[in-house]
Amino acid sequence: MLRRLVLPALLLAGLATAASAQPSPFDMTGERPADAPILQPPASTGTGGGPAEPAVTARVPDEFKRFIIPFSALSLTGEVDERTWSVYLTPAQAQSAATLDFAYQNAIVVAPEASTLSIFINGELAGEKPIGSAEAATALSYDLKPGLLRAGSNDIRVKVRQRHRTDCTVESTYELWTEIAPESAFIRFSSGDSATLTSLDDVRAVGLDARGRTQFNLVVPGLQQPSRTAALMRLAQGLALRGQMPAQEFALSEVMPDLAEPGQMTALVGTAEEVAPFLERLPDGASSGPVAMFMRDGKTKSSVLVVSGPDWPAVQEAIEGITQPMDRPSNVPRDVIATGRWLLPETPLVVTNTRLRFSELGVETSEFTGRRFRTRFSVAVPSDFYADAYGDATLLLDAAYTEAVLPGSHIDIYVNGNIASTIPLNSVTGDILRHLPIKVTMRHFKPGPNLIEIEAVLSAEPDKACAPGTPASNDPRFALFDTSELRMPDFARIGRRPNLAAISGAAAPYRNDAAAVPLFVDRADEDTLSAAATFLARLAVAGGRPLLVEVITSPLAAGSRNAIFIGAMPQLPKTVLTQVGVDPARQMSWGNAEDTGRPDDTQKAIDEWRTRLSGGAWRTQVTAFQTWVKQEFDISLSSLRILPEAQAAYVPPESAGLVLAQGANPSDDATWTLLTAPTAKRLREGASAIADVTRWQQLAGRVSAYEPATDKIEATPVAGFDFVQTQPASLTNYRLILANWLSSNIMAYALLLIVLSVLLGLATSSMLTRLGRRQ
Amino acid sequence: MSKIGSVAAWAFFSLCVIAVITLPVNLQTQLIVSVLIVTFMAVLKLANAGGRWRLIALAFGTAIVLRYVYWRTTSTLPPLNQLENFIPGFLLYLAEMYSVMMLSLSLFVVAMPLPPRKSSSISEGKFPKVDVFVPSYNEDAGLLANTLAAAKAMDYPADKLTVWLLDDGGTLQKRNSANLVEAQRASARNAELQALCDDLGVRYLTRERNEHAKAGNLNNGMLHSDGELIAVFDADHAPARDFLLETVGYFEQDPKLFLVQTPHFFLNPDPLERNLRTFEKMPSENEMFYGIIQRGLDKWNAAFFCGSAAVLRRKALEDTEGFSGMSITEDCETALALHGRGWNSIYVDRPLIAGLQPATFASFIGQRSRWAQGMMQILLFRFPLFKGGLSIPQRLCYMSSTLFWLFPIPRTIFLFAPLFYLFFDLEIFTASGGEFLAYTLAYMVVNLMMQNYLYGSFRWPWISELYEFAQTVHLLPAVISVLLRPSRPTFKVTAKDESISESRLSEIGRPFFVIFAVLFVALLMTVYRVYTEPYKADVTLVVGGWNLLNLIMAGCVLGVVSERGERAASRRVKVSRRCEFGVADQWYPATIEDVSAHGARVQVYGIDASTLPTDTEGGIRFEPYSGSGVAETLPVAIRNKEIAGDITIMGCRYLPQAARHHSLVADLIFANSRQWSEFQSARRGNPGLVRGTFWFLWMALYQTSRGMIYFLRSLRGSEAQKEGA
Repeated sequence: MLRRLVLPALLLAGLATAASAQPSPFDMTGERPADAPILQPPASTGTGGGPAEPAVTARVPDEFKRFIIPFSALSLTGEVDERTWSVYLTPAQAQSAATLDFAYQNAIVVAPEASTLSIFINGELAGEKPIGSAEAATALSYDLKPGLLRAGSNDIRVKVRQRHRTDCTVESTYELWTEIAPESAFIRFSSGDSATLTSLDDVRAVGLDARGRTQFNLVVPGLQQPSRTAALMRLAQGLALRGQMPAQEFALSEVMPDLAEPGQMTALVGTAEEVAPFLERLPDGASSGPVAMFMRDGKTKSSVLVVSGPDWPAVQEAIEGITQPMDRPSNVPRDVIATGRWLLPETPLVVTNTRLRFSELGVETSEFTGRRFRTRFSVAVPSDFYADAYGDATLLLDAAYTEAVLPGSHIDIYVNGNIASTIPLNSVTGDILRHLPIKVTMRHFKPGPNLIEIEAVLSAEPDKACAPGTPASNDPRFALFDTSELRMPDFARIGRRPNLAAISGAAAPYRNDAAAVPLFVDRADEDTLSAAATFLARLAVAGGRPLLVEVITSPLAAGSRNAIFIGAMPQLPKTVLTQVGVDPARQMSWGNAEDTGRPDDTQKAIDEWRTRLSGGAWRTQVTAFQTWVKQEFDISLSSLRILPEAQAAYVPPESAGLVLAQGANPSDDATWTLLTAPTAKRLREGASAIADVTRWQQLAGRVSAYEPATDKIEATPVAGFDFVQTQPASLTNYRLILANWLSSNIMAYALLLIVLSVLLGLATSSMLTRLGRRQ
Repeated sequence: MSKIGSVAAWAFFSLCVIAVITLPVNLQTQLIVSVLIVTFMAVLKLANAGGRWRLIALAFGTAIVLRYVYWRTTSTLPPLNQLENFIPGFLLYLAEMYSVMMLSLSLFVVAMPLPPRKSSSISEGKFPKVDVFVPSYNEDAGLLANTLAAAKAMDYPADKLTVWLLDDGGTLQKRNSANLVEAQRASARNAELQALCDDLGVRYLTRERNEHAKAGNLNNGMLHSDGELIAVFDADHAPARDFLLETVGYFEQDPKLFLVQTPHFFLNPDPLERNLRTFEKMPSENEMFYGIIQRGLDKWNAAFFCGSAAVLRRKALEDTEGFSGMSITEDCETALALHGRGWNSIYVDRPLIAGLQPATFASFIGQRSRWAQGMMQILLFRFPLFKGGLSIPQRLCYMSSTLFWLFPIPRTIFLFAPLFYLFFDLEIFTASGGEFLAYTLAYMVVNLMMQNYLYGSFRWPWISELYEFAQTVHLLPAVISVLLRPSRPTFKVTAKDESISESRLSEIGRPFFVIFAVLFVALLMTVYRVYTEPYKADVTLVVGGWNLLNLIMAGCVLGVVSERGERAASRRVKVSRRCEFGVADQWYPATIEDVSAHGARVQVYGIDASTLPTDTEGGIRFEPYSGSGVAETLPVAIRNKEIAGDITIMGCRYLPQAARHHSLVADLIFANSRQWSEFQSARRGNPGLVRGTFWFLWMALYQTSRGMIYFLRSLRGSEAQKEGA
């Protein structure tokens, strides 16, 4: 499995500053620790061209900046809020003098005298300021002390403490916000060679652009040759797994793009002969063996990853040199899901009965003086998680509150934004909660990372007076201790087909395929291949390992293997559409015509008529009862159905720019997933949109459609599904699976219990007539 | 083979049901299942489905109960690190589990009670010799005379029947007592009873020392007699004429039979029935035991000896060296010992004796304390579950009978549990409102429905709870003391012939008023907390509702301890018997309307009663069932009269002068056992759960006010006494 490839490092001769360049072999035997051997590459120039740079005052000619915010927007709200993530720095970047710049703006109601914005790097306070920038964005700049930054991952933590100017109500805390624009936030490195990438590890330092996105450009002169597609997909996955950024997209083309864009990295892939025109000179050994190294010369003027060799098999070998080390056994679950680049600490993956301390989950002990305390952590469940109907996790809460907290205050637990539990804080004299068990329903858990938020809503006597101008009380009224624990029970584990949430969470079922995954790409053009690369790269990141790919040209070739189909709708084979439950009737017309929108309108009209006619007293009563039952117990008529709903073929709406659909193969023994759009261009745009972690995590159901106009994922729920065995047969697991299935098929449970009770009654009667005395 | 097959099938389906019940399904599912199953049970109940359907309905109920147990065990206990919540919470949990265990035991016992037996006749000329034992301790001669006369009058060949009065009140030990008054009284009693026995043709027997109480007395009787069978009647239990004919035949059929037990039928109400005025319309408390439970026990060959109204085989008793006297309930203990040695028992579900039961609340409690303590002693000394020689069903049956008497402990816990929350804010039961609805409420409804299904026409809704509540306060210390010192309690004879001449509070009624007051304060606290702490109104309302239920019970018990004064000394029995009424040698045609142990009501035709003064002596002439067809005269005195035209209704008091007169009284009251069955079946009606509940609520409200009035009156009374002093 482990292979040792010794490739010569790059020697840059064409630059005047080249001084200490020397061949340095690099090791691809495994994941290298973050503080890998430091290479001394030639310095280079390179300026990141962020669009808006309000903060930069003095421009040093060869300064280099790295955007640091991995979100499209960063808004810190409420009385306390924080975000922690990590940024990977190359050894050169870590060593150079650096300045942290960002600009922020806040709500006008935030009181500056009692509000602070702090930024920590690697746990040390890098800068802190009262929040007072309501009128316009204020730029801040902090010089980072030498030695603060490290080669490898650096933790960045932004934290606010905010207080309302005039109001002390809980409601007022929702008006508090501070925003940092991603384009304004970066680290400036003074040293000239900060932009230079030298070793393959530096792929991790690919960084972000001003919108929090990352792009890998693959320049492949022989792009159109179908035989190359599989290898390119492997390369995309290898790079994506090294990058691990929240939104990574791939652009495949035959021409060199603009280089030195922030958040972009370019790889030049081809035989020595093919890549030669793009470079001043070929890397050493490219004409004799596989080569994968960063190069920078007069022609590229920026670091480019050259993946080459004398012929295509050698290129493939070079690609494997990048990708292979990222592989891991397909049947061993990960301990953590890599989320560090946008959420620290890394999310632990729970596959069985586990207790996680808050301290491990990154929740610190905190004392709180305000009204609405919030904290969050993330925990991941595997793709075959099947406990959403019955399961309960338990939060063992260690917390305390003083007598200032009025009864009626409460702690709410949210899972992925849905309320999952509420605990009243009703003691008049305050209380210390020691491992208070709180049931948290697993209803809103889904495969992959799940965000759990704890919010304490505290009303207090002093807040009622709330005289403006009085100094904020600094007596803590609430404390949450990091000895609290999250206890995850053993939960039912079985795969379902279709289930896009499993794709989103852990690339299931593809992740577990040790053999090559059949990939159908309708045309080997730039757009389609870019979309395919982006999607497969995202899959690899979700699954934590690269997939082996085999390109197929006919659905039949997939056999009984789990397959992926990518292409523009009109070119797709009809069988694929039928199997994944998409209506083939609109194969040609989707995206061409104005939306007829009839089904929607009819439904709307019926609903309108229903409200118009709801005057009848009886009807009102029944409706009111239904609503009440729905509200209180979450039971609706549909949850009482006995037979599964009929599954209608999915008709892609005109508003959808991309559709991801899943179904079984014709022989019902494997999963087919289809990624499609009306055109190849929209396919590429859509794929790069859903590759963003915030959208990727919304994929669910049997069909998920991305709607560019609203920037939303519309998921069509699964109506009927097949179970796919993922765990070794075990009675306890089957019992839990049965519990979950029966919890979502209430009537089946009721019927089962009733039938068994009747049988038991009959058995009792027959036994009693035979036993004891009778007459 | 089919036995094993049916048990295996039952075990298989039980396992299936348990597997499905212990699936951790969600709340919504539980809610829907609860609603469906409760509906099904209600339909089955309304359709009055019996036989298999009855067991199916019980299986439904069991499913809900088990769901509750599963949920209660897995998700409602307070966390272990909150000891202040956990300890009371766990106690409450244990109390609930005890209730569930008792429910399952009683389900086992009464799952399929044996239908009434066909009467078994004795083969001609094979009448076995029967000794009738009437043990007595302190009952007066008049009472004994009725019983002995009735025993003597039983239809049975006279040469095969010997009636024994086993007198423990006139023993040598007592006659020679150092206490002079006691010694005199014992000697007088000895002489009086000996004379009575001679008159009646009954053997009088006493012994030297009062050893081993009733069991010792009976064993002494055995030493002096030799009949093949022994019938035992309490001093106040008079048998009907057909008693022996209805019971003795079974001994011939089964040589291993040691006991034929018959129900105890009471002529007078117990204090609850009297004070709540339910004797005429509601089935008595003991009818559930004799009407269902003994029949259920009988199915498993576990019907046990109840101390009286039973026939036993001498040979069997000799096998265990007589009656066992280790506990103070020698009857049940004896039966347990004999069952353990492979002897059989049967139960005949037909009242064949009529007797008296304690009239005052205090003596009622005294009697129940003896039962409770005795059963606890059996549980401790003879632990039936592991007693050798018993079949598994017998073990379970005896466990059910003995463990039942632990009820004061869980009752106390249920009584005080809500107060922990209402007064001290402790949360000993962690559940949300929805869970409470889906699990607890369903469990409670199903529990009531199952009770009603099992005992419907023998026990009205909430009456079991009322009886248990009324006994709990005084039985709790009794049960706990016997658990601490098992051999301490000694046999005390229950007084049954007291009467209450005037309305008053029971002398042991005080604690109930204290409890009522505390619960009432808790009710006020509920209201206060609902208003001041609206954020937890839901929990407060649920707990407050529970407390309200306790309060309603406690209020009803106030009525129980407020003893009503009673005009008639003992209960009247309707008879409708032709007779002649004579005054001053003038005889008029008449009908006896009803009789009691002390007098009769007679409808006389054509008498001019207006001139007759009260206490005029006269006579009733009628033909006794047991006689030779010749009419005999019972002397009476006129106590009151009511003239309606030609007909005069006269209340008379017996003036028995000779032993024969006692026989005539016995003939009037006890001769016809069919009357008693008719009386019982007249009040056996199932009002249903809903109607029964409303009826109970109304009664509780009324009794609470009556209790309060008695209480205020007693306060005024004691003030008046003080002033008087």
